[in-house]
Formats: sequence, C-alpha cells, structure tokens
Amino acid sequence: MSALVIKGVSKHFGGVAAVSDVNMEVPPGKVTGLIGPNGAGKTTLINLITGVLTVSEGSIHFGAQDITEVPAYKVARAGISRTFQNIRLLAEASVIDNVMIGFYRNEKTTTPASLLGLHSARRETAALRDRANKLLERFGMSKFADQEAGGLAYGHQRRVEMMRALASDPALILLDEPVAGMNDVEAGELGEIFRGLARNGMGVLLIEHNVRFVTTLCDFVYVLDSGRMIASGSPEQIVNDPAVITAYLGS
Amino acid sequence: MSDFFTVYHHLFNTFLLGSGYALSQWVVMRAGVFSVATAGLASIGAYCAAILTTKLGWPHPLSILAGTLLGTLTGLLLSVPLARLRGVFQAIATLAFVQIVVAVGLFSDSLTGGAIGLNAIPILVGTKENLLALLCTIYVLLAIGATRVGRAFEAIRQDEAVASSLGVSVTFHQSLAFGLSGAIAGLFGGLEAFQTFTLFPNTYGFGLIVAALSYVVLGGRRSVAGPIVGTAILLILPEVSRPLADYRNALYGVIMMLVIAFMPRGIVDTGLLYLRRRRLAAKAAAESRQ
Ligand SMILES: Nc1ncnc2c1ncn2[C@@H]1O[C@H](COP(=O)(O)OP(=O)(O)O)[C@@H](O)[C@H]1O
Ligand SMILES: [Mg+2]
Repeated sequence: MSALVIKGVSKHFGGVAAVSDVNMEVPPGKVTGLIGPNGAGKTTLINLITGVLTVSEGSIHFGAQDITEVPAYKVARAGISRTFQNIRLLAEASVIDNVMIGFYRNEKTTTPASLLGLHSARRETAALRDRANKLLERFGMSKFADQEAGGLAYGHQRRVEMMRALASDPALILLDEPVAGMNDVEAGELGEIFRGLARNGMGVLLIEHNVRFVTTLCDFVYVLDSGRMIASGSPEQIVNDPAVITAYLGS
Repeated sequence: MSDFFTVYHHLFNTFLLGSGYALSQWVVMRAGVFSVATAGLASIGAYCAAILTTKLGWPHPLSILAGTLLGTLTGLLLSVPLARLRGVFQAIATLAFVQIVVAVGLFSDSLTGGAIGLNAIPILVGTKENLLALLCTIYVLLAIGATRVGRAFEAIRQDEAVASSLGVSVTFHQSLAFGLSGAIAGLFGGLEAFQTFTLFPNTYGFGLIVAALSYVVLGGRRSVAGPIVGTAILLILPEVSRPLADYRNALYGVIMMLVIAFMPRGIVDTGLLYLRRRRLAAKAAAESRQ
C-alpha cells in the first residue's frame, strides 16, 4: 500500500495564492483529517492531487509514482478516488448505473470486446451488476437501485457518490466534506464506514468543517488557513493549538 | 403487396440510409460530442467508394469497405484537433469541416466531377445490403450500450469531471466515438453511392446536417431506437400528405421547435422514461401495501 506525499505545493490563480507551500502526508490504513475555514484551499488541494488542476510549484508522489503532472484519469487509475464537495452524480442514470461506472478502472473487458458485444464483455457486466447490488446492500440503499440518482434525497446522494468511489477499489480515497448537511446519526454511521475502510488498509483523507467530527475520527489532522498549513498533529494537539483556535474563532 | 412495395421501395431505402446517418450522428452525441461531421464523413465514404469502382474498376464491396475505412480514419483524425473544444465550438469546427469537404468536391472536378457530379455509377446496391448494414450497425451500438464502452460514453456525456475521476479517458472515448461515427457514415455513404447514378458534393452539405440532427433530436439521444424512429417519422410525414412535401424544410423546422420546447428528450426516450417511472411507482406502491 502506498502513501501520498505532498511536498512544497503551491497553486496561484492569477496573483492570488489559493495554496502556498503545503507539505502533507496521507499514509495507508489511517484516517487523515484536513480542516480549515471556508476558502482555506482544501478543495483546491484535492483538485491538485487528482490532476484536475495543475500545481504551480512543488511535487506530489503516490508511492513510488510521481503524479505531479499526471492527468485526472491516470491519477484515478493509479488508485486514487474522490468524492465532490458539491455532489456530482450522473443525474439521469439510475443509482445502480452510477455505482457501476465506478468499477470502470478494474474492468477487464477490452474495447474491441465491448464493441462486438462478446460474451466475455456481457458476462463481466453481469458480474459487476451483482457486485454493485452487494455494495448497495452494505450502504442500505438496495431499495433505490433503479431510481434516478438525481431525484434522491441529499443524504442518499452522498451515499451513492461514496459507493461509486469505493467501487473503483482505490488505495486512497479523498472525501471532500462527505457529511456536510447530515445529522449526527447519519454522520456517525458514515464515520464508522470510513474507519472500516482504513482498518482494511485504505488511506482515507477526510476534509471536514466540523472539528468535533474530525477529532473523534482521525488519527492525524492537518489544519489549513488561507492556503497555508498552520498546524498538524494528533487530534488532541490540534484542538489545543492556539493558532488553530485563532483561525477558527477569528474567521 | 408487390404494388405497395414498388411504390414504397424507394422510400424504404431512403429510410434505411437516413437511419444510418442518424446513428452516425447519434453515436458522437452519445459520447457527449456536439459534432455535425456526419455529412462530411458520409461524403468521403460515398466519393471514395464511387471513385474506386468507376475509375479503378474495384469490385463494389471492396470499394464500400474502403469508403468505410476512410470514413473511420477521417473521424479519428478529426477528433485530434477537436479534443480541446467543447459544445458549440465543436459544432462550428465540424460545420467548417463539412464545408471544406463540399468545397473540395466542387473544385477537384477531375476526380469528383465537380458541380456537374460524378456520373455513371453502376447501381449495384439495394434494400438487402442497406438492411444488412443497418442491422450490423444496430448490433454494434446495442453491444456498446450493454458493456464497458457504453458506460464510459454515458458517464462522459453527463459529467466529464466525474468520468475522469473514475479513470475514464475522455479523449480516448471521444476519439472512439468519432471513429465509429466516421465508420457508420462512410459505410452508408458508400452504399448510397451505388444506388444513385450520380453524386453531387452538395448532397452531403447543410441539408444532410440538418436532417441527421433532426432525426436524433426528434427520436431521442439515449436509446438506439430513438434516431431510427425519428428518421421514420420525418421521412414518412411528407409522403402521407403531398402538400407537406412542398414545405419539407419548414415542416422540419416547426417539428424541431415543438420537440425541443415540449419534449426535449425526444419521442422514444420520453416514452421509455414514462414507462420506467410508471413501473417504479407501481413497485413502490406494491411494497408499501405489504
Ligand atoms: N478555479 C479557481 N479560480 C480562481 N480562484 C479559485 C479557483 N478555485 C478556488 N479558488 C479560490 O481559492 C481559494 C480556496 O478555495 P477552496 O479550495 O474552494 O477552499 P475550501 O475548499 O477550503 O473552502 C478561494 O479563495 C477560492 O476563491
Ligand atoms: Mg471546499
């Protein structure tokens, strides 16, 4: 299993530095937290990791692989999966079809086999449908399988996005405010799922607003403010850090 | 019966060819590309096939195959500069491509016959070949829809950022869609060449662009049946009522405006969606009774 290592990464939009000289490590088998006030640069950092945005300075490595300049679809193929802060589902597709596309990375079917509709291609599709149904069961979403994803309630849409990211069987998952807008019970349920993923060896980067949620769940926490990393450490260290308290109370 | 067949024979062949062009248009849109290149690609397939047979004496099946391959290759090449463009810019760039193909057809008269047309093409293709080609095309498009590539197309069409976040290469699949579109257009262009005596560059101009787009928009952009149903309706309407035929273009325009305003998914997709929602509602009702 590979660790994500970010070294001296900056991103400028015109003259504005959204992220400045950030160093960070996300190891496998742990839940790493990333907190910070609105506009701190958390989502920008995820977009830099996943190749949606190109870095202005610095390097990003995943295991032995340098992914600094790698385009988004290749970062995904390297085993890094993500969810989006503003949920992005295939709104017209059914819930199960949304999950099915997640399996894409590990599908064995070749393009010619798919074009010719070979038996092997159809068999793999059927097998993936079974696996998608199992995933739906695990998330308690079976009864929504055939519904259009765009019509679901907010919390259910979040779950669909999570299932889709997990279907790609990533080594590292980046969650951009996955429990925003959920009540404590729902958030707690998902928190348990995140811990389970880490126990099975996955690296989890959890971006969150809610300091309490992060501190109960994470093994290690980074704090970003105005694009700079102002603190990092265990949850206990973080909640008692004067710089963090100022950043949160000051904003 | 045989009387009926003679009268409608020509219309049926027009329908089969039109369905082919509609599916060529459909497959790029399926992958989220707003290309109107189908007319130009069909022209390339038609002229390639006709020239190889009339000037070089190639057997017509081989010429049609060559036209199909040249259409595919042109589609693939076209996808390279278009990879950076999106939406309306793709439409404009592919419109320019069609204009260039028409212009080349008009000016290189030693090869294409120019505005006078490429004449004396033997009539060697009929309903049987058209039908076979359409069935093969439908098979491949259904196969794609049921397997890996279809899922990638669907994801790209709805949200490119999501598709690439899951490892789907947008560039690769849009090139693939262009190649398929070129193959289908080239194939049906080649078939058309051997059932018309004469080819004119303007046969594959703005009129065909509008027709192919209309077939897809009216029928639907999601299911394979959509463009075929759209073609059938738009070709049959002017036949059932002669006065309508005189105003064919105006009629297309009015139908398009009505469909876009009131049924943006097209006839077939709207129907399928209605059926699906009804089935889900019935299922939900049955579950709540338990
Ligand atoms: N594409 C962009 N172009 C210009 N500025 C951007 C862009 N994306 C983000 N920013 C700016 O970068 C800063 C960080 O934003 P963001 O990463 O979304 O913060 P967070 O996710 O921590 O709330 C904000 O000031 C935002 O306006
Ligand atoms: Mg954000």
